[in-house]
Amino acid sequence: MTTWLTILAVAAVTFLLRGSFILFANPHRFPHAFRQALQLVPAAVLAAIVAPGLGAPAGPVDLSAHNLRLIAGLVALAAGARLRHPLAPIAAGMASLWLLQGSIG
Amino acid sequence: MRSMRDEFVAGAREIAPVLVGMAPFGLVAGVAATASGLTPLQGIALSMLAFSGIAQLIVCQLIAARSPFLVVVAAGSIVSLRFVMYSAAVSPHLAHLDRRWRALLAFLMTDQSFSMTTARFSAPGERGLRHWHTLGASVVLYFGWQATVAVGVAVGAQVPTSWSLDFAVVLTFIALLVPAIRTRADLGAAIVAAAVALVAAGLPFRLSLVAASLAGIAAGMAIERAHRPKAVK
Repeated sequence: MTTWLTILAVAAVTFLLRGSFILFANPHRFPHAFRQALQLVPAAVLAAIVAPGLGAPAGPVDLSAHNLRLIAGLVALAAGARLRHPLAPIAAGMASLWLLQGSIG
Repeated sequence: MRSMRDEFVAGAREIAPVLVGMAPFGLVAGVAATASGLTPLQGIALSMLAFSGIAQLIVCQLIAARSPFLVVVAAGSIVSLRFVMYSAAVSPHLAHLDRRWRALLAFLMTDQSFSMTTARFSAPGERGLRHWHTLGASVVLYFGWQATVAVGVAVGAQVPTSWSLDFAVVLTFIALLVPAIRTRADLGAAIVAAAVALVAAGLPFRLSLVAASLAGIAAGMAIERAHRPKAVK
């Protein structure tokens, strides 16, 4: 029961956030600093999501060369920045991880 | 001028390559739902109602960790805060539509459809029917996503861990992160957020994500302030 309630609540919240400006607000009334902060949201949130997946894949932080996901992730970042195609980081990252895992395991 | 149908089909076509990249992500989101103890129906309902891979994953992780209701909802909201900014950026383009259209396009908005929508609306020419372009892309994305999530829910934990499919999720976010960094402030925000996310990784209930995002935004604003040209007197 709680699980269903959680699902419905998360659905409601994601919809309200998506609809916030589109449905309810007049964007011109928001203070400048707030709009500035909103513009930084994607870079900050996405980096905060990505970092633990690369730098602490097993729980504790591991920034050594033994951390294969860190290396594969850096390859993916470089591929994305260079090739500017949405599939480039995914292809380069998975290929690097599989290669590294194969050569070590 | 393009007809409604032309716009819809063009949007559907343009999103197709993006769908390929999202397929492993949908699969992982489905597997995560099963692994966290959700029933198949609950896993699919979460996906159809929330329609956000990252929110689905975080909710599954926290449900698996038996987190309290409010914590799960708060974490789901925090990772969805970026939609507020997307909503702000898209709202002028959709302001002429009635409330039902705006609600539908808001419900279907994702990182991917947002970037396509802003690109389409910034092209020259008549703009009156371009919401059909967004609808075409969003509908394909919605049903493609649900299909891959359903496959993930069905196969559950049968995907061999040696495939490291969960890493595809991180890579999907790298694919979105790279084009999100357009200015020096964006880059500063990303670096600070990444560093804080690692330092604060031990905090419970994914609070590190909040702390890291806020720190990143603050850093980005400080950089913007430092480089803003002085006002002319």
